[in-house]
Amino acid sequence: MNAIAEQLGLRRRRAFRTSLQGRRAVIVGCLALALAAALLLALGNGAVPISLAGLFGGEDDLGRTVLTELRSPRVLLAAFVGMGLALSGAVLQGLFRNPLTDPGLIGVSSGAALGAVAMIVLGSALAVPNALAQYLLPLAAIAGAALVTTCLFLFARRYGRFNIVTVLLVGIAVNAFAGVGIGAFQFLSDDAQLRTLTFWMMGSFGRASWPTVLPATALIGLGVLLLIRDVRGLDLVQLGESEARYLGVEVAALKRRLILASAVASGAGVAVAGMIGFVGLVVPHLVRLMGGASHRFVLPASALLGGVLTVSADLLARTVIVPAEIPVSLVTSAIGAPFFLWLITRVRTQ
Amino acid sequence: MVGGHALACDTVADSSRIAVAGGSLTEILYFLGAEDRIEAVDATSNYPDAAAGFPSVGYVRNLSAEGLLSLNPSLVLGENDMGPPEVLAQLRQTGVDVVRVPEEHTAAGIADKIRCVARVLGIDATQRIEQSIAPMLRSLAATPPSSCRVALLLGFRDGAPLAAGGDTSGDGLLRMAGAKNLFGDLEGWKPVSLEAMAYANPHYIVMPERGTAGAGGMDDMRGYGAIRLTQAGKRDNIVVMDGMAMLGFGPRTLRSAVRLADILAAGETTTCVL
Repeated sequence: MNAIAEQLGLRRRRAFRTSLQGRRAVIVGCLALALAAALLLALGNGAVPISLAGLFGGEDDLGRTVLTELRSPRVLLAAFVGMGLALSGAVLQGLFRNPLTDPGLIGVSSGAALGAVAMIVLGSALAVPNALAQYLLPLAAIAGAALVTTCLFLFARRYGRFNIVTVLLVGIAVNAFAGVGIGAFQFLSDDAQLRTLTFWMMGSFGRASWPTVLPATALIGLGVLLLIRDVRGLDLVQLGESEARYLGVEVAALKRRLILASAVASGAGVAVAGMIGFVGLVVPHLVRLMGGASHRFVLPASALLGGVLTVSADLLARTVIVPAEIPVSLVTSAIGAPFFLWLITRVRTQ
Repeated sequence: MVGGHALACDTVADSSRIAVAGGSLTEILYFLGAEDRIEAVDATSNYPDAAAGFPSVGYVRNLSAEGLLSLNPSLVLGENDMGPPEVLAQLRQTGVDVVRVPEEHTAAGIADKIRCVARVLGIDATQRIEQSIAPMLRSLAATPPSSCRVALLLGFRDGAPLAAGGDTSGDGLLRMAGAKNLFGDLEGWKPVSLEAMAYANPHYIVMPERGTAGAGGMDDMRGYGAIRLTQAGKRDNIVVMDGMAMLGFGPRTLRSAVRLADILAAGETTTCVL
């Protein structure tokens, strides 16, 4: 009797597991298709109408320039930034077992903003050849992000053996300190610099050009590869850090590796595109609501959904009020927030 | 900012379809009678009213390359501060002429701006300038320095006035009118405390319309500590003008400066001796 019940239970559990795995595979497949569709749509639409016939017939010179020099780098950048932010968010939320974590917590955003505002205010004093000038702002942003994240790292390791609460609290302190720097530079800035900064903070993919997009996407790609390898370790950390350690996970090394990789994956994007809100925090939650919390599923699905969200948000941002543009952060939140609410209520009523 | 582009006023090959980024430039194109060449304007181009009929390319510092290209302009004519620089580089790459008009916050600077635009378009503006700009330049040049204490406020941020320090467009307007900027020692637009306002005690406060509207209208604003505690507030010497007419540094800014100079001259022997 018992044996039969056990058998049944086991079978049911196995069936449940396979159905869940099947469902996850379907979701990841659909997201990959959605990303492909979003990329094609984004490349094919914009303020300048481009016809395929004109492109291949060789008559549409403006169309070809727009496609190769403006739209392609922009769409590519949007996809990579979305992937990098959402994946970093998913990894950090898993690592800290805290649903409110996003790449901002480890100082990436405030650090990048600090670097950017320093360059905007002080950069005019630098005499730099024009060819290099386009790299100054992204480089300063990356340097700022690296500086603030490293501070967080050193403090957290020194005072508290790198445990989660310490990292969270040190994160708050370090972010506040970066905020002081940003505020001070804002105070020093003149009117034009202040407005440049305001638009930088709002985030935009409109500044994308190949010379800055290629290095940025390469860095984000590197970060993504590093992040996506550690699914098993992340799953085990969910049981608790000491439990994970008993199961053979080198928790301290895992944290170091993942925090740095997250900083690279999100920081490189922030450096060229500015602040893009909502993606890093909410996309991982969307994904968990759809298919559960296993990182084997959450990581790839977050990356894909992040890309879908930023690419389609950017498409809307640049096509709704042609010939002007809407700040893209506004659109990511405007699309994301209602979808998120709908998903929460649906899951709760099921 | 990084990536400075050369400012030039050379005549361009084709100025038949212009996308304008800057309210004062739209104003100048109308002044030169070249409005039929405008294809699109930016969000700061609110004068004359007819300019609102053109498609908007958004804010002057936040232009979109593809958006602009969709209008197929032959020339993008922009204010000194148009941007972002990456977008301007993208536009140049596609072969569109991008001209950035230099700006200087003086009366002569405005005349130069008009001449520059005229040269870019290949128009002879001598007669128009002689007719309607030169008289104002002469009148301003003849204005004696005023002894009135004047502050120019952009508006209020959390109840604290945002004042024009030195090296701002607001400071330029005050100097054109012969006034001494009370906050000229500050650099840029700076929030000023209520105490500092009361201590500085301006005879006149100059503000853009939007600044007073943002403060809840003139009636509410008169109750603000920063206004109430000053001579200007007590005697209601608050000069309100259209923001772009004050600070856009197009032809209308000359008119605003002349008007301000007249007001200060009238108050010289009454208000400003207190």
